[in-house]
Amino acid sequence: MSLLSVSKLRVQFGGLVAVDDVSFDLREGEILGLIGPNGSGKTTLLNLLSGYIAPLSGRVRMGDADITGWAPAPLALRGVLRMFQMTRVFTRMSAYDNLLTAGMARGLKEAESARRADALVEELTLGPVQFLDAGQLSGGQRKLLEFGMCFIEPPRIAMLDEPFAAVHPVMREVMAKFIRSRHAQGATFLLVSHDMPIIVDLCQRAVCMNAGRVIAVGDIHAVLKNHDVIEAYLGETAAGDEPPSLEVSG
Amino acid sequence: MKPSRRLWADRLRFDMAAALAVCALLALVPLVVRGPYALGIVVVSIYFAIVALAWNLLAGYAGQFSLAPAAFAMIGGYTTALLGHYAHVPLALGIPAAVVATALLGWVLGKLVLNLSGPYLSLTTLAFAEIARVVIGNSHEFTRGDQGMHVATLTQSRVGYYYIFLGVLVAVLLLLYALLRGRLGRFMMAVRDDPVGASSRGIDVVRVKSIAFWVSCAICGLAGSLYGTFSQLVSPELGLLQQTGLVLSMVVIGGMSSLTGALAGALLVYMGSEWMRAFGEVQTIVFALLVILFARYLPGGLWGLVAARQRKGAP
Repeated sequence: MSLLSVSKLRVQFGGLVAVDDVSFDLREGEILGLIGPNGSGKTTLLNLLSGYIAPLSGRVRMGDADITGWAPAPLALRGVLRMFQMTRVFTRMSAYDNLLTAGMARGLKEAESARRADALVEELTLGPVQFLDAGQLSGGQRKLLEFGMCFIEPPRIAMLDEPFAAVHPVMREVMAKFIRSRHAQGATFLLVSHDMPIIVDLCQRAVCMNAGRVIAVGDIHAVLKNHDVIEAYLGETAAGDEPPSLEVSG
Repeated sequence: MKPSRRLWADRLRFDMAAALAVCALLALVPLVVRGPYALGIVVVSIYFAIVALAWNLLAGYAGQFSLAPAAFAMIGGYTTALLGHYAHVPLALGIPAAVVATALLGWVLGKLVLNLSGPYLSLTTLAFAEIARVVIGNSHEFTRGDQGMHVATLTQSRVGYYYIFLGVLVAVLLLLYALLRGRLGRFMMAVRDDPVGASSRGIDVVRVKSIAFWVSCAICGLAGSLYGTFSQLVSPELGLLQQTGLVLSMVVIGGMSSLTGALAGALLVYMGSEWMRAFGEVQTIVFALLVILFARYLPGGLWGLVAARQRKGAP
């Protein structure tokens, strides 16, 4: 069952077509990997899907609703939540207040928000820093906090932009565990990452972009074995030198 | 159990208690200060405290650096004055009318400027403030220009006025407390800290800014209207950019994003500037220097020092 259906999405910055006729489906309850070399348009696609830029043409549908060109706040209230590569937390409030505020922004009462914030602080191992201002947290702690802010009211779709980049391995494990547990509860993810082992570990399917276009979509192992995908990542190689899959080449 | 005094609700409660304590001290002032001139200075400093609290709501909590608080006070004052002069509207209606007029004007101006950010918002509000002042100053037939307009008074008693201003100050503090304590206060700070992040969590950024804007303008309008009745005169001088500069320095010195900071800053700076009159026109230089020093070395202002100590004392 497709939850989000993207068809022929296109956006252009001057002469550069950053997202070029992109179409794919995000299925209910799956973790879909979005991969591709630097500059291939992954973050631009995420910006389109989360309402930060409007497409030139194309359609985005969620269930029966056409959500093309919706602004970020209404999308968030519909359950389309996004995490940023450069984390966005409210720096001059305590980490705990960040969670409370995020819950209240999604329409929860303060008391209910507080109850869920307590549980998330525990689960995300933020206990020791919960009363520090979010601006004082480390990069990894901020990412964990952002997970909590997205999930204080379970989203219908969580879009994660490089959540594992430059994060301590212990926290990376906390995040992976968090994603698995929410996936087990039925959450749907779109996960942008360069970290192939984690993508292979978490995702069932993947979309690979290069130069704004989708060059492969389908089962994660098949995508990583795809000739175009390997060429996009590693460049053209002499016949016979190409590795059989990006999984192996790491 | 949560360690107290670190969460927003606890910080705000402590701030509010301190602000009310300052008000309690102010309530005792007429027992000690009997001279009408000296009492008048404290009344004017309370006027500035109300404007500073309004500006702080917008700049300190919602992150919108408007340069028009004095202009809105002036417009509030003129609303009451013009209604009284041309339509013989009594103050009981003229003062609320000033609040409504400035709120509406703030809402309209907000529609125009709130999609701008940073310096563009400041420059647009600055342009608005100067245009409003020049228009009022040059409309001789309608507003009597720089001569100003006479306004009726609420009471002839200085002490009476003192307590009216103090009562309004307490009411404004209670209103701000209620606003900041709830959803809207949190959303304002979220917008201040990261507008992009706030919208991605589901906060309607423009709506939150717009509410902060018109509420702040309405409080300035109320303060200006009351000030007009107190001095029985409104003139374009109320809207001078220097007045906005004074409000800005009050909040920066007292402490941005703090009720007590804005209140104490206003009292200290205004009384300090009155005291400095004896030494010639040095106030502007002194306060400009102080603002630079505070911004550089003590961005939390005087309240920042208190809050840091208080947080250290938390379990």
